[in-house]
Amino acid sequence: MDLQLASFITAGALVVLGLYGFFFVDNVIKKIIALSIISNSVNLTLVAMGYKEGGYVPIYIPTVEFQIFSKEMAYPLPQALVLTNIVIGASMLAVMLALSIVFYKKYKTLKTSVILKED
Amino acid sequence: MNLLPLIVVVPLIMAIIFSYIYRSKYVRSLTLLMALVLLILPFLGTYGPYFFGGHGITFIEGIPLVSGILYTLNPLKEILLFTLMLIGSLVLILSTKEKNLSGVFTSLVLMGLASVSAVILTEDLFNLYVFYEIAAIAQAGLVILAGTENAYRSAFKYLLVGTMAGSILLLGVGLLLSATGTLNIGDMGRYLALNPLTPTVYGGLLMLIVGLAYGGGLPPFHTLKVDLYARAKPFVSAILQTYSKFVLIALMLVILKLFGNLPIFNTIRGVLIALSVIAMVFGTVMALLQEDYRKLLAYHTISQGGYVALGLALGTPLGIVAGIFHGINHALYKSALFIGAHIVDKVRSSDMRKVGGLLLTIPIVAFLMLFAKFASIGIPPFNGFQSKLLLAEAVMGANIPELVVLMLIVSIGTFLYMMKAFYLIFLKPCGEEQLKEYRDVKISKYHIFSLGLLVVLCLILGVYPDIVLDRLYPIGEEIGISWVLR
Repeated sequence: MDLQLASFITAGALVVLGLYGFFFVDNVIKKIIALSIISNSVNLTLVAMGYKEGGYVPIYIPTVEFQIFSKEMAYPLPQALVLTNIVIGASMLAVMLALSIVFYKKYKTLKTSVILKED
Repeated sequence: MNLLPLIVVVPLIMAIIFSYIYRSKYVRSLTLLMALVLLILPFLGTYGPYFFGGHGITFIEGIPLVSGILYTLNPLKEILLFTLMLIGSLVLILSTKEKNLSGVFTSLVLMGLASVSAVILTEDLFNLYVFYEIAAIAQAGLVILAGTENAYRSAFKYLLVGTMAGSILLLGVGLLLSATGTLNIGDMGRYLALNPLTPTVYGGLLMLIVGLAYGGGLPPFHTLKVDLYARAKPFVSAILQTYSKFVLIALMLVILKLFGNLPIFNTIRGVLIALSVIAMVFGTVMALLQEDYRKLLAYHTISQGGYVALGLALGTPLGIVAGIFHGINHALYKSALFIGAHIVDKVRSSDMRKVGGLLLTIPIVAFLMLFAKFASIGIPPFNGFQSKLLLAEAVMGANIPELVVLMLIVSIGTFLYMMKAFYLIFLKPCGEEQLKEYRDVKISKYHIFSLGLLVVLCLILGVYPDIVLDRLYPIGEEIGISWVLR
């Protein structure tokens, strides 16, 4: 199968998986994992968008003529976006995990139904 | 030399430095110094574009395309930035009066200021997304610093949904990139105007609207924002609501620049107007029910966010000007109200059932808060009146008189709960003993000064609205499209 199509299908499957985890699993850590799966599926989609069948790696190669290179290379911008997004995702994740530690110390459980219940 | 990037870079670098001076005797003095520096920042840039890395514009087959990240400054952005920095500076000054001030608080405020300024300045969709996420983290962090369990809970919920909404926004940016091949908003707008729209573009647009609703506190994400404003310390809520209002304005302007003159915008306009009307009505109805003053203000913020979104969603030149003007006014008087709430909270409690008779104890604060309330209701000669009048004019200009009626009803609702709050806090009779208890509390001059400054600004903008409006009209004319409902 076409690699790009396969990536898109995988990303779709990951989103479904993530949404299931986010809405139906009653555990804070698992919810956070589900969110990170969703975020990674978006990253996969972005990388797949820039993919080009048989294209060059977007690093300038002196042996290849520039005109051909510029036409045949993969689109590099999505990769830069994904790299930035991974960093942002990591910082979001860090804050959420830190908060879940606080919640666990207080409630001795990770159940969302207990932790996020209003007084 | 154009020093435009410093508006973002200085707060960002100082945020990193402040996070290292976690507990130090210098934090207070450095924070005060930083508060002064912030006020100079908006005036450093010169109007026009700024190309990062000096890439500038490249011509591909005769078509000018921006390569690299582009920031632009215009009078509208300058006035937004100045309001943002002014409120940020006041919040920093007030924070020096708090016990246990740590560098982390200053750091988070600065991080938020830097990111919201970048969201306002940037013309690059991905750059906007990055700073939008940083703003979300900074807001959650500021709420966490309140230190209560409820604050942790609301910050956690905000981040949970924020990660999801952020992913959706990023996917939207990705889809628009794949459809148009550029991230620059101007280039993208030109491409969309010349080429037929594909399902990819529709998907991207829908996802942008989801991001807008989360960042700006429109339904269905408004309850998260209410939690944030109600759980943070009240003077921190002043800067939190400014962040969300300005993110709302910036994202709305992006949607208008990209899709404003396309036929699809007729449909989007309906959706956006519906969202803002729901926010207006829901915020007012819920605020009427509140017993806690902070929650009341939080719901009021949502309803006023609806006004701002309504003006911008109309997309007419006057609508855009009215929406942005209301956003600026709202940021000013709402900050005053939140600072007032902070003083009330310090004296006794923000629970309106527990306080009363404060008029005798803090008369100056009572009158300043009354004026801020007048501004929020839309009573002349305060600024809220000017922007609501302009908004009503814009809505009438688009031939939707029903919305004006709704706006009036919402204003009456605002009047009701604001006056109820004023009565319960300041006028309700209370015993001699309670009065003696109140008298022991000292209110710092900083609080009264910042409250007074904001109210005076409200008054000045109410009497001379042209100071701001003259700067907004050219931009409104540039972006807006006139239309009339038939």
